[in-house]
Amino acid sequence: MTNRERYKQAFSALHPSGRLSLEVEEMAHIQKKHKTNMAIAAAIACAVIIGIPGTVYAADIGGIQEKLSMWLYGEKTQVDVTENGGGGYTFTYEHDGETEQVSGGGIIIGEDGTETWMDAGEVAEGMNQHASIEEDEEGRVWVYYYDQKSDITELFDENNLCLISLSHDGKTVYLEITRDEYDSYPFRQSSEPEYDRELYTFVPAD
Amino acid sequence: MKQSVQELAALYQNNLFAVAFNVCKNAQDAEDIVQDTFIQYYTTKKEFDSEQHIRAWLIRVAINKAKNVNQTFWKRNKLSLEDYMETLTFETPESENLFETVMCLPEKYRIVIHLFYYEDYSVREIADILKLGESNVKIRLSRGRALLRETLKEEWNDDK
Repeated sequence: MTNRERYKQAFSALHPSGRLSLEVEEMAHIQKKHKTNMAIAAAIACAVIIGIPGTVYAADIGGIQEKLSMWLYGEKTQVDVTENGGGGYTFTYEHDGETEQVSGGGIIIGEDGTETWMDAGEVAEGMNQHASIEEDEEGRVWVYYYDQKSDITELFDENNLCLISLSHDGKTVYLEITRDEYDSYPFRQSSEPEYDRELYTFVPAD
Repeated sequence: MKQSVQELAALYQNNLFAVAFNVCKNAQDAEDIVQDTFIQYYTTKKEFDSEQHIRAWLIRVAINKAKNVNQTFWKRNKLSLEDYMETLTFETPESENLFETVMCLPEKYRIVIHLFYYEDYSVREIADILKLGESNVKIRLSRGRALLRETLKEEWNDDK
């Protein structure tokens, strides 16, 4: 038996479980969910470092489900919360007449090193504190931050880099956004600029 | 050209799952990556020259997404590799040993070995997919093979 045959035999044991959703409508439906999840990971990391102010309003309506109010697409949006079984939460909401979901979770590391799973309100607030970037069907790129919604399409330079600052409640955050070859927009958000402050375009609230 | 997601899933979902698992070592994450890769394909405006172009693009996207998963803070309560391996059915004990040995290799060797032995890509094609120089790929392949040979001994041929 050749090494290649051995290798293929060994890795033929791997199979996905079959829970993939491959219907086109379903793919479009869950596209937002997957796009947004990357931002959540960063948001939670940020939340762990800076702590969570309790400005999300939760109302337990029985069982594992809650309702929360979150900033999504620049608007205060009512979301249904369900635990997803992995220590995280799924937030379900209506947008443009469709049901969308985002999910996330995280751990708060205490000063003594103890680790505590975030509750739904803490996860939601971590997401609130983080901007999100979306490209619409016309190819326009939008940044959302709390109640702000701004078109930043023209702010990308020839290297597909966009540096902006945003302000909310007296605090300024700095975003380094890149447009990658897959037309997605990974970005870093920080409270201090990575580059000279004057390189950032301040995007005012409407 | 553009093939439907359903067609591509029938052809490549096992391959994408295997390559994603190879990088991130977690089945749940690998499934999410496969899903996300097909969504990316569904939404991309990119033009493809051929089926092979699509295949290489899908594999590259899956690898990049798997690397991103490894870098993110958010981790689910993960099933360990050992526990997950207990759920797999290997044809022979040697297969299980090979699988476990590969998963213990450093990521940079593991992915090159996988693309060469599982996906049948040439050194030049691997260099193109991973955006590496051919000499770099050759070195990683050579070192990965040497590590496999060192552990697996007679269960792995001394190929060049």
